[in-house]
Amino acid sequence: MSDEIATMPMPGTDRRFTGLALLAAAALGASVPLWTENMPFVLILASQAVVAAIVALSLDLLMGSTGLLSFGHAAWYGFGAYLTGIAAKMLTADVVVLLPLTVVLTIVLSAIVGFVLVRQIGKTFAILTLAFGQILFALVFVLSSITGGEDGLQGIPIPTAFGFQIVKPAVWYWLLYGVLLVALAGAFHIRRSPLGKAWLAIRENTERARFIGLNVSLLKLLSYIVSASLAALAGGLFALFNGAASPDLLNWFESGKVLMYVVLGGVGTIIGPVIGAAVFTVTEHYVSSITDSWLIYFGGFFVLIVIVAPGGLFGAVSNLWQRIAAARRGMSA
Amino acid sequence: MILETTDLTKHFGGLKAVNGVNLRIAPAAIHSIIGPNGAGKTTLFNLITGAIKPAAGRVMFDGVDVTGWPAERLAKIRLARTFQRTSVFHDLSVLENIALAIRSREGISRSIWLTAGTERAIEAEACDILGRVRLRGREKDKAGALAHGNQRALDIAIGLALKPKLILMDEPLAGMSRGDRETIATLITALRDSLGVTIVVVEHDVAMVMRLSDRITVMQHGYVIADAPPAEIRDNEAVRKAYLHGSFAI
Repeated sequence: MSDEIATMPMPGTDRRFTGLALLAAAALGASVPLWTENMPFVLILASQAVVAAIVALSLDLLMGSTGLLSFGHAAWYGFGAYLTGIAAKMLTADVVVLLPLTVVLTIVLSAIVGFVLVRQIGKTFAILTLAFGQILFALVFVLSSITGGEDGLQGIPIPTAFGFQIVKPAVWYWLLYGVLLVALAGAFHIRRSPLGKAWLAIRENTERARFIGLNVSLLKLLSYIVSASLAALAGGLFALFNGAASPDLLNWFESGKVLMYVVLGGVGTIIGPVIGAAVFTVTEHYVSSITDSWLIYFGGFFVLIVIVAPGGLFGAVSNLWQRIAAARRGMSA
Repeated sequence: MILETTDLTKHFGGLKAVNGVNLRIAPAAIHSIIGPNGAGKTTLFNLITGAIKPAAGRVMFDGVDVTGWPAERLAKIRLARTFQRTSVFHDLSVLENIALAIRSREGISRSIWLTAGTERAIEAEACDILGRVRLRGREKDKAGALAHGNQRALDIAIGLALKPKLILMDEPLAGMSRGDRETIATLITALRDSLGVTIVVVEHDVAMVMRLSDRITVMQHGYVIADAPPAEIRDNEAVRKAYLHGSFAI
C-alpha cells in the first residue's frame, strides 16, 4: 500500500512547487529596483530586458500557437515605437491615450497586412513577413521629415499618466514589468481557452482543423493581430522609456534576434521565450563589453541548442526536471 | 438521398480521373466505393469534400448544392470525413481532440471564456463519444501516444463529435492488423445502428466491404461500372473482369 503511494506521481505537490517557483521568480523580478538603487545602469538594462521579454512573448503567441514563422516581427515592434513616439510629439504625452491609440491602429494595420499574409503557407509566409518588415524599415527613411530618418526619432516628450510625469527609472521598470505580467497572464489564459486550443490545433494539423469546421484563415489572422498588437505595445513603451526611436528597431537584424530568443527559450512554452529574451539581453550586454565576438558565441550557442535541445532551454530544463522526478520516484519505490 | 452527385467529372491532364459519376447515397446506409488502384475513388472523395474543384457536375448534400464548398463549411452542415492516413492532433490530449470538434460544432471555437458549466458539458459529451469508440480511460493521454488502431478510432470519434449526418471514410481499415480491422468494422456498423449516421467508405479490403455494406459502387478508370447491393456485386460480370488481375477475393 505504501509502495503504491510512493510510486504514484504527485501532481498536486508538483503543481504547488511549480506555482511557488513561479511566484518566487515573479517576486524576484519585481524586486529589481529595490537592490539596484546605486546601480542606475543595471535598472535600465533590466528594463530593456523586460521589453525584449514582451516582444519575445508576442512572437511566441504567433509561432508557438498557430505555428506561423515570422522573420519580420520587429516590424511591429518598430511600428509601435515610431507611432507612439510621433503621436507623443504631435498629439499628447498622456500614456492613457497614447498606448491604446497605438494598439488600436496596430490592430487595424495588422488586420490588413495579416489578411494577405495568413493565406500564404510555410516559406511564403515567412519570406513575406521579412519583406513587410523591410518595407517599413525603408519607409522610415522615405518619411524622414516625420521620422527623423537615419538620425532616428528624437525628442519624444516625457510621458504622463493622470497628470504625473513618468520619470523615475524604478517607476518605469515597474510599469514595464506590470505590462509583462499582465501579458503573460493573458497568454496563459488564452492558451487554456477555446481560442488557444484552436490555434494549437492548426499548428498540429491544419487539414484536420479545417475538416472539423475551424476557420483556419480567420484563426491565423487573429493570432497575427494579437501578436502584432503586443509587439507594438512593447515598441510604444520602449520609445517613451527611451525618449527616442531608431530605425534599427524594425530592421531584420532585430527580427532575427527576437526569433532567436523564442527558439532558445522554447517555442510555444510562453514562459520560455520570456526568460530567454531577458537572460540573453542581459548576457549580451556583459559579454559584448568583454569581447567583440559576442555574436559568434551567441550564434554558436544557438546552433548547439537547436541541435541538442529542439524544445529550447525551457524544454530541456523541464525534460531534465521530469527525469529527476521519475528517478526519485523510481528510487523510493 | 442524403448525398447525390450528378455527372461529376475531373480530368488531370489527359487522364479522366473521375468521369460523369452519378452517386446516390441513401440515408443511414453504409455505402462502400471500391475499385482497382487508380479507379478514381480518392479523387471522387476529394471532389465531394471540396479539396479539388470538379470540371463539371455537382454535389448535393441533404438538399443543398455543396459543389466546391471548402471543408470548414461542409463540417458546419454536418458532413465529416476521416483520412487515409490517420489524422489526429498528436500533441493534444485525447479528450482535447474531441473537445475541439465539439466546440467547433457549437460555434464557440474562438471564444476566450467559457463558463464552468459549458466546460463540464463539453467534457461529459467528449467522454460519452470516447466511450462509443472504446477509448474511455485514455482521456488524458496524448493522441500521439495511442496505438495505431486506437488513433484510427479517435479519428472517427473526432468526426462523430461534429454530430455528422454523413461521414466519408477514406480507407478506414488500411494498414491495420487483422484484430484492429475487426474492431473498426464493428465500430462502423455500431455507429450506423446507434446514431443513424450515413457512412460512405472507400476501402480496399473487399471481403470486409462485402460484409459491411448495404450497397457498393464499383469504379474503374474513372467510371462507375456497377452500383448494387453486395450480393449482386459478387455476381457482376463487369466487376469480375475489372478485378481479374487484382485481388478480388470474394
